[in-house]
Amino acid sequence: MTDLSAQETPFAGAGSDLVKRRNRKQVVLQGLGLAAISFAALMLFILIASLVVTGYKAFVQTHITIEVYVDPAEVSVEKLPRGGFREVLLASLQEEFPDVEGRAELRRLQNVFSNGAQFQLRDMVAADHSLIGQTVTLRVPVSDPFDQLAKGLVKRETPEQLRRVNDREIAWFDALDAAGKISQPINWGLITNADSRFPELAGLKGALVGSFWALLVCFLISFPLGIGAAIYLEEFAPRNRWSDLIEVNINNLAAVPSVVFGLLALAVFIGWLGMPRSAPIVGGMTLALMTMPTIIIATRAALKAVPPSIREAALGVGASRHQVVFGHVLPLAMPGILTGTIIGLAQALGETAPLLLIGMNAFITSAPSSPFDSATALPTQIFIWADSPERGFVSRTSAAILVLLTFLITMNAVAIYLRSKFERKW
Amino acid sequence: MNRWRLPSHKLDQTHDRPALSPGGFLSFPKDHAMTTAAFLCLFVLAIAGYLWNRQAASAMRADGARLHSLEGFHGFYSLLTVLVPVLVFILLWVVLQGPVIDAALKGGISERLDGLGTGEVQLIVAEIKSLSRGAVFGTPEQWKFDAAERYLALNARADQLLLVIVLVLSLTLIVFSRRKVAAEFRARHGVERIISGLMIFCSVVAIFVTIGIVASLAFETARFFAKVPVTEFLFGTNWEPQIPLREDQVAAAGAFGWLPVMLGTLVITVIALFVAVPVGLMSAIYLNEFAPKRFRAVAKPFLEILAGVPTVVYGFFAILVVAPAMRSFFAAIGIEVSPNIALAAGGVMGIMLIPFISSFADDALSAVPQSLRDGALGLGATRAEMMLNVLFPAAIPGIVGGILLAVSRAIGETMIVVMAAGLIAKMTINPLDSVTTVTVQIVTLLIGDTSFDNPKTLAAFALGMMLFLVTLVINVFALRIVRKYREAYD
Amino acid sequence: MYDTPTLERSVDNNTVKFSARDVHVFYGETEAIKGVDVDILDNTVTAFIGPSGCGKSTFLRCLNRMNDTIDICRVTGKITLDGADIYDKRIDPVQLRAKVGMVFQKPNPFPKSIYDNVAYGPRIHGLARSKADLDVIVEKSLRRAALWDEAKDRLQEPGTGLSGGQQQRLCIARAVATAPEVLLMDEPCSALDPIATAQVEELIDELRQEYSVVIVTHSMQQAARVSQKTAFFHLGDLVEFGDTAQIFTNPRDSRTESYITGRIG
Repeated sequence: MTDLSAQETPFAGAGSDLVKRRNRKQVVLQGLGLAAISFAALMLFILIASLVVTGYKAFVQTHITIEVYVDPAEVSVEKLPRGGFREVLLASLQEEFPDVEGRAELRRLQNVFSNGAQFQLRDMVAADHSLIGQTVTLRVPVSDPFDQLAKGLVKRETPEQLRRVNDREIAWFDALDAAGKISQPINWGLITNADSRFPELAGLKGALVGSFWALLVCFLISFPLGIGAAIYLEEFAPRNRWSDLIEVNINNLAAVPSVVFGLLALAVFIGWLGMPRSAPIVGGMTLALMTMPTIIIATRAALKAVPPSIREAALGVGASRHQVVFGHVLPLAMPGILTGTIIGLAQALGETAPLLLIGMNAFITSAPSSPFDSATALPTQIFIWADSPERGFVSRTSAAILVLLTFLITMNAVAIYLRSKFERKW
Repeated sequence: MNRWRLPSHKLDQTHDRPALSPGGFLSFPKDHAMTTAAFLCLFVLAIAGYLWNRQAASAMRADGARLHSLEGFHGFYSLLTVLVPVLVFILLWVVLQGPVIDAALKGGISERLDGLGTGEVQLIVAEIKSLSRGAVFGTPEQWKFDAAERYLALNARADQLLLVIVLVLSLTLIVFSRRKVAAEFRARHGVERIISGLMIFCSVVAIFVTIGIVASLAFETARFFAKVPVTEFLFGTNWEPQIPLREDQVAAAGAFGWLPVMLGTLVITVIALFVAVPVGLMSAIYLNEFAPKRFRAVAKPFLEILAGVPTVVYGFFAILVVAPAMRSFFAAIGIEVSPNIALAAGGVMGIMLIPFISSFADDALSAVPQSLRDGALGLGATRAEMMLNVLFPAAIPGIVGGILLAVSRAIGETMIVVMAAGLIAKMTINPLDSVTTVTVQIVTLLIGDTSFDNPKTLAAFALGMMLFLVTLVINVFALRIVRKYREAYD
Repeated sequence: MYDTPTLERSVDNNTVKFSARDVHVFYGETEAIKGVDVDILDNTVTAFIGPSGCGKSTFLRCLNRMNDTIDICRVTGKITLDGADIYDKRIDPVQLRAKVGMVFQKPNPFPKSIYDNVAYGPRIHGLARSKADLDVIVEKSLRRAALWDEAKDRLQEPGTGLSGGQQQRLCIARAVATAPEVLLMDEPCSALDPIATAQVEELIDELRQEYSVVIVTHSMQQAARVSQKTAFFHLGDLVEFGDTAQIFTNPRDSRTESYITGRIG
């Protein structure tokens, strides 16, 4: 039927104007359909491409390697963890550029280092006091403007007054680069650091751990509740007004805007029950309420797919209805239930609005150690970074989105694999 | 990204943990060691009960008794009899311990708190609690230290009490269920009854959630309307909720007319539908009837990917790519547009809705019986004619239901508009201007400060109530249409 | 155990197993069974015949209360098994179904191993004290269902991998394994080919040695071949009940005659 060359058909009137017009209509319709799909594909492509283009540079981080003399005059065991680590670092750079003078110029020179460099040095010395008085080799991140410069995001040909680094700073950087002190290793900090005000130090650890706790809580609540409700409604509930009400209610709950769940959580969990703000346990409970309808609907579909003959067979040998369900129907429906659950959890992982309302967008510089600590989640971290003025956060936002999408695609792939592996045709 | 930004939390950088405002009216127990111990104790005892009953039943059977239920059911009977009530008890205790102790704490220092506002009382309670954790700021008075001592003592006693009650309760229930073990005891029925009860509870949770949503929204909305007249909210054309936080600040009183906010929501929704409906329907028609099998096998999953992208990603896409592109396009043809152009937010939302509409339309078209297709083709219709004159009209109810659900999604969608739409409410339907939406206002009003007694915060709940009602009506209507349609062809 | 099963044995036992009095079954408003009285004897094969929709399967499912699982189904009247009312409130339908086994129209083995299929009933009813006990029960049941020789080397393979006739015999073995007193068979051969049908029919006759067997069938030849008693149902009424030979050669009711001569059906 895709053969549109109607002229060749031997029937009378095949080549007439009417037939041509009718066929043309079909071509137009097909063309519009293809155009629509192409548009959607193009948008998806632009979306991914723009994220990759802006984000890939955040997966490496410009570092500077430098010899630092830990001057006992500045750093002493008694004062630890305080000490003049900034001064020590600056001194090491001053050795490279002895001609730099004046407070303002020295501060600029200092700013080559990331703000985190002094803490890295402090932690090294605190761990090993014998380093005081010695020269150590340190590899630390450079600050964001220089990172941008190294990655070509700050263009050298831009007029100096519009640039975030002036010509002198570029000269320092090039000198360091020429001396082989600049490197661009993989940015593990993106995964191992928590959030920071400084883009070069900011990482996703806090968000990843926060999302993990929230999803765990969400799973632990929504999975048993959802399966219990689905089994009852599908296998045990009498068909009456009550079960109808519950059914309509669940379908509607699945379509309630997510931000409304955030309002519920804010008023009930935080306001009335006094649970902690910004905590993954509250986030997880909120997400659980949203995920539960998804799991119920998927579970019911999976239970429905188990043929009645299995139920009859078990009933026929004298199994009780509970034994039928828990011994036969539920195990057979499990792959379908798990698929639905994983898809529901993937949705929950990307959910942002309700988490904003319960304060999971706080600025927190350490990963939570329990679900009761304040934390962010991956999507709210993306929101925070997208909202941050520093240039360096643009590429980090894209990188964070790529990390999030990787998780989502992995989860969905697992779901699809489960479905195809265990799907049973009756 | 030169847009107004949300109040940032990035200022309290100096703390290891941010100084958070006290959670809410109540506080949550911070020390979990005893609660954990109570849980552990319960689980161990429940398992012990299981083993004891099981062993007793086995022994009976070995003596030749004919048991009604298998040994395992006798065991589970004990397990559930212990686990369910005590678990409920512990959870209730955990929720109530904080508030009860707070009340006791306040009662003990009532003469000091007399005549203070709720805010000041909360501050003092928070200070005492942080003292009890050993964090001393400044030089607190001695009575606060005493109160902190008492607070610690109260908590310790409550923890011990919890543990003791859990122990006693569990042991009582173990003995109770052990004494039930007998040949004719229908343990299986008992277990099944408990499990049925649990499952009924699970199903009713969904209703509780709805009740919770309605109750919380209604409660806060009622408080809002106590401060702002209903008529002003429903018919006012001015939305300026940025009123002073402190009572003594002098500033313009806020205006709370939701019409411009609703209008903005409609503008964005309409833009989104202009993108999503034609593209979604056309894709569905093509995929359902014309696409080669292999093309369909590729296109379907890729549409699912589009549907699975979180909305925060679409929001970033809007500010990173779409809005700048539109700005430069309109600048090139010489039209001045707002930086938060509604077209960008609406357009990206439309992209988000494409797979939604396309999959609903695809399902609706597939549900039309094969006999109708055959009938049309048998009369010599082309496939386009069959699609347009027969399938599509037959599938209209299902498609309309899907579009309505998409409308409800668009109205309730939050992240795209929070990131890409504006904040200032204007009475305009110009898609090139900046508009705000209900969800944007909810989020911006509630982010950061959330004390529950100023109209600014409460206004968010009033907006949430309107959002919930509007989407609920659309959803009920749409789901009914979809359901009727499915039944018609089943 | 019984070396020479005599195929042409007459009804040799007159103990009444099931006794039904004035049984009505309603599906919502519609009355599917309109007052049936029947006595089913022990060690006898009783066949229910009749045109489609006459209520014979519905009545069969009353005998082990399988109708309880249908919400809108309501049963009135009295059915006794060995003198005890099976619709009494104190009767546990689950225990009843262990005593009254059932084999369904389509073979429906569990998607588990052959062994687990047969062992399931004994397991949930606690009939075996040990693994060895269970092995004995499984072997005995498979032998009784004439499946042992074919299945003994593949007990751990899935039951769904057997042929249709083997699957149905597996279902019979599964029903037999709970040591029932009555076996209900709902058109057990309708999904089988002629050779498998012959095997199952032979089996049914052997089963009669130990059980009371009730079989619903569409095929009058089958009823004539395997049963000693036949009940003819028509539009929810039990039209005629008697010795098979008498029903097929000398029916008393004109409707029975029309049916067995092929005029209604």
